[in-house]
Amino acid sequence: MMIAAFATQDTLHEAVAELRRDTACVVETYSATPPPEIGGSSIVPVLMLGGGMVGAAGGFGMQAYATILAYPQNIGGRPNFSWPSYIPACFELAVLGAVLAGFIGYCMTVRLPRLYDPVDEARSMRTVMTGGHAVVVVHGAEGNGAVRATLARHGALKIEDITS
Amino acid sequence: MTGKTGAAVDDAALIFPAETPHSLTERICAITLHEGESGWTPLWWWLGLGFALALLCMGVISVAWLFYAGLGIWGIDWPVAWGFDILNYVWWIAIASGGTFISALFFLLRAPWRTSLNRLAESLTLCAALCAAIFPILHLGRPWFFYWLFPYPNTMGLWAQFRSPLVWDFFAILAYVLCSILFWYFGLLPDLATLRDRAQQRWQQVFYGVLALGFRGSGRQWRHYQPVYGVMAALMAPLVVSVHSIVGMDFAGGATPGWHSTQFPPFFVFGAALSGFAVVLMAVILLRPAMGLHPYITARHIDTLGRLLLTSSLCVAYAYVMDAFSTYYGPDPADRTMFAFRLHGLYAPVYWGTIVLNIGFPQLLWWRAIRLDLPVVWLICLGVLIGMWLERFLIIVSSLARTQLPSAWGQYTPTLWEWSLLCGSIGLFLTAFLLLLRFMPMLAMAEMRAMLAHRP
Repeated sequence: MMIAAFATQDTLHEAVAELRRDTACVVETYSATPPPEIGGSSIVPVLMLGGGMVGAAGGFGMQAYATILAYPQNIGGRPNFSWPSYIPACFELAVLGAVLAGFIGYCMTVRLPRLYDPVDEARSMRTVMTGGHAVVVVHGAEGNGAVRATLARHGALKIEDITS
Repeated sequence: MTGKTGAAVDDAALIFPAETPHSLTERICAITLHEGESGWTPLWWWLGLGFALALLCMGVISVAWLFYAGLGIWGIDWPVAWGFDILNYVWWIAIASGGTFISALFFLLRAPWRTSLNRLAESLTLCAALCAAIFPILHLGRPWFFYWLFPYPNTMGLWAQFRSPLVWDFFAILAYVLCSILFWYFGLLPDLATLRDRAQQRWQQVFYGVLALGFRGSGRQWRHYQPVYGVMAALMAPLVVSVHSIVGMDFAGGATPGWHSTQFPPFFVFGAALSGFAVVLMAVILLRPAMGLHPYITARHIDTLGRLLLTSSLCVAYAYVMDAFSTYYGPDPADRTMFAFRLHGLYAPVYWGTIVLNIGFPQLLWWRAIRLDLPVVWLICLGVLIGMWLERFLIIVSSLARTQLPSAWGQYTPTLWEWSLLCGSIGLFLTAFLLLLRFMPMLAMAEMRAMLAHRP
C-alpha cells in the first residue's frame, strides 16, 4: 500500500477525488476530525433499531409470561395481562438494547477492536489522531508511479510504500 | 471585556480566538499525559484525593458495620422506614442527570457551547450514578442477595411484581448506568486514540491503546461514528427523563400523603435538572483555573449554565407551588395535615431551607453581573445541592412521619452510621472524579477540533 501525508484535509480530498476517479485502487483516508463530506449511509442505526425492538419485545414478552403464566397474582384486582404497566420497563430495555446494539454494531462494522493494522507501520500515521496530518492510504498501489505522481501533484508532504 | 471570570476576550466567545486545533490537542494531552510544563499533578489534586479517600474510608467502615450488624444501626423504623438510604439514592441520581442533559439534549439542540462541557459533565454523571447505584443495594437488608432484583426464573418460581414502579426503577437505573457508560466511552474513543498516538511512556501507549480499541480516524470509522453518536444522544435524552420520572413514580405510586400526585414525575425531572446543572457549574468554576481551561471554557459557558440553573429553579418553584395548591384544593385532609406539618412541624426548618436554597438564592441569577461573579455562583450552586438534599429529606421523611392514621405518626433521626455513609458516598464521588480528571481528557478534543476547524 502507498501512504501519503497531507497538511490539510482540503488538499487530501482533492487528491482522493482524483484517485477515485482515475484509478481502480481502494482508497481510505485518515484524519483527526470527521471528513467534511462523508459519503454513504451507515447500517449501524438500523442495527440500533433492531436492538431496541428486541429489547422492547423481550421486555414485554418477559413481563407477559411472568404475570400471565409463571406467577399470576391478583394485584388490586387488575387483570393478569395489565399491559400498560409493562411499558416503562419495556422502554428502558428498548433503550438499553439500542445503545448496546449501537456500540457492538459499530465495533463489528468498523472491525474493532483492532489493536494492530499494517498502516501503523507508516510514520505518517503516528500524527493522524493528534491532528498533525491527514493521511490517505491507497491499497495495492505499491510502486505505482501514476498514483505517486497524483499524490505529489496535490502536495503530499511525505509518501511511503508499506508492504502489508 | 475583562470580568471576574478572568476572560480578556469577548464574552460571547466560546473559545479564545488564538486557540487552534493543534494548541488544543497539545494542552489537553499535556494535562492528561503529564508532559512538560503543563504536566499536571498539582498539590490540590493530591490534597483533594487524600480528603476524598478519607471520606471514602468512613463510608467503607460504615458499610462494613452495616453488613455485620444489619439495618438496625440506622435510624429508620416504623413509620419512617425509608431514610438516608433512599434519600441519598434520589439525590445522587438527580445530580447524575446534569451531564446527560448537557451531553445529549443540547447535542440534539446543536448548542455550540455544549462541546466544551460535555466530557466534564458526562464524567460527573458517571461518578454520581455510581454513588446512586450503591444505595438501593445497601438498603435491601440482605444486600448479598441483591441479584434477586433481577427477574430470572429462580428455583422458588417467584417473579418480580412488574406492576410496581420500584421494579421499573430497577430497569431504569440498570439502563441508565450502562447506557451512560457506553455513551461516555463511545464519545471518548477518538480522544483515547489521540492520547495513544501522543503518549511517550510505554504504559500510557498500552493503556490508551487498548482503551482506544484501534480507532485510527479512518473515513470508514468516522462515517459510522457520527450517526451512531447522534442516535445514542437521541436515546439518552428521553432516557434521563424517563429515569427521573420513574423515580418520581416510586413515590407517586404509594398512597402516602404528599406522594400520591400525578405531578411527581415532572417534579423529579425538574429537580434533577436543577441539581445536575448546579454540580456541573460548581465543577466548571473550580476546574477552569485549576486546570488552565480558560481558553476553552469562557464567560459564555458560565453565563449559559447560570441561565439554565435559573430556568430549572423556576421549574422547581412551579412544582412547589403546585404541590401546595393541589394539597389545599384536593379533598384529602391527611394531605393537609401532612403539609401543615411540613410548614410548622418538627421539620419546618428543612422545608423553609429548601425554599430559600432552591428558589430564593437562584433568583439572583437574573442579574448578569451575578451570573459572572464566580464565587457567588459557586455558593448559589452549593446552596442548591444542599437544598435539593433537604427537599429529598422532606419528601421522604415528613410524608412517612405523618400518614393517614395519627396512631402511626412518628419521627426520624439519622444515626452516625447514616451520616458516615453519606460522607462515604461523597468520598466515592470525589475519588472517582479525581481519578477521571487525572487519567482521562476532560475536554472532548475531537469535537472541539471539528468546531475550531469550522470556526468562521
